[in-house]
Amino acid sequence: MSAGEVLIKIEDLHKSFGSLNVLNGISTEIRKGEVLAIVGPSGCGKSTFLRSLNLLEKPTSGTITFEGVDITDKKVNVDKMRQKIGMVFQQFNLFPHMTIQKNIMLAPVKLKLMSQSEAAKRAEELLVRVGLPDKANQYPDMLSGGQKQRIAIARALAMNPDVMLFDEPTSALDPEMVGEVLELMKELAHSGMTMVVVTHEMGFAREVANRVMFIDEGIIQEESAPAEFFTNPRNKRLRDFLSKVL
Amino acid sequence: MSFSEKFYQNFIEDNRYMYLVNGLKNTLIITVFALLLGVLLGFIIAVVRTTYDKTGKLKILSLICKVYLTVIRGTPVMVQLLIIYYVIFASSRIDKLVVTSLAFGLNSAAYVAEIIRSGIMSIDNGQMEAGRSLGLSYAMTMLYIISPQAFKNILPALANEFIVLLKETSVSGYIGTMDLTRGGDIIRSVTYEAFLPLFAVALIYLVIVMLLSAAVSRLERRLRSNERR
Repeated sequence: MSAGEVLIKIEDLHKSFGSLNVLNGISTEIRKGEVLAIVGPSGCGKSTFLRSLNLLEKPTSGTITFEGVDITDKKVNVDKMRQKIGMVFQQFNLFPHMTIQKNIMLAPVKLKLMSQSEAAKRAEELLVRVGLPDKANQYPDMLSGGQKQRIAIARALAMNPDVMLFDEPTSALDPEMVGEVLELMKELAHSGMTMVVVTHEMGFAREVANRVMFIDEGIIQEESAPAEFFTNPRNKRLRDFLSKVL
Repeated sequence: MSFSEKFYQNFIEDNRYMYLVNGLKNTLIITVFALLLGVLLGFIIAVVRTTYDKTGKLKILSLICKVYLTVIRGTPVMVQLLIIYYVIFASSRIDKLVVTSLAFGLNSAAYVAEIIRSGIMSIDNGQMEAGRSLGLSYAMTMLYIISPQAFKNILPALANEFIVLLKETSVSGYIGTMDLTRGGDIIRSVTYEAFLPLFAVALIYLVIVMLLSAAVSRLERRLRSNERR
């Protein structure tokens, strides 16, 4: 396991929607440079957990400490925190009324972190990095699913985040496009980016993650290094789960 | 009397066509100012209401907006016009054109607000989440991401509201505003000839509405070609 300093510390996180308890006390740490894969059956709370990390879901109780700041504290400027936490969605959520280049440039320019020309240069670099340098002036609707997701990753990277959250990034893709996105994520992981990935891609979890976490019924049932996780699962639910998905 | 004689009597003699020209000018002034006010106020109301729906903030303001919508949409625009002229501005000698524009603007705002609100609601929540996850504030996300897309979706409805408004202003003659309808009616009362002036009025409304519809469909096409090959 990676030995970087703690980037995000989660303590006793609970979340309920009305009477439905989705998260029932999650505590863990995410270290700098670590790639954490989160797996579990549908409705287990893994997406809710991920979305809590940048407060797209407001936790019912518990604390999330990001770079030493408790972001669940009401006095904290959430927008400032989110600038350092990139997020990639299952449905891409590109802005359809803007070109690819404008999609990438929007946040850094509007938040006055970069000038127009700096952001344009950054967008160009990122498009090369995600392998789509010729798409700058096209609109999202012209791209394939895999290309959209790679642009969504580039857009998040434009903010130079300290951690990237991926919410089932390949689940909405046609099978032949899953590979290109996973390849990019792998490259990102090797570059040292801290990543938290909710995924159904067990191959990716096994190959790229430093740690795999199994969530069911809103709690962490098991977490360990991938070799241990996949070959020697201790938790019975995890064994059931793995027997279904592998 | 032959048609050409009637035509001369109704429109040419004593420059009677000027009733229609001035009336049309006033109708357009009222409609444009009412729409501007309606869109401005309607946008504010829509944002207040959706902000409350989405975040739970602005509760009191949202409640006030809701009452406003209920009252305005629950009473006829003519009654509102009469109340504004004879009750609210009863003691002040304010220009009738201003009063009429204000009345129709306040009325239109309620309808425009609901149009804009439906436009904002029609945008997938993922767009808001994407904006917020990049660190943009709620207001910035609304401004740069949600509103432009919502505007495009509601353009036909908004244009329709403009057309409805244009036609609705035909009741402004009830407080003595010299609009297009009133102009035609004055000609009628002078010449005792109903057919020509009233059909002329109808034709003018029809032509304007058709022009507006054509302009809107062109604008729509242009907005759409932005996104597709």
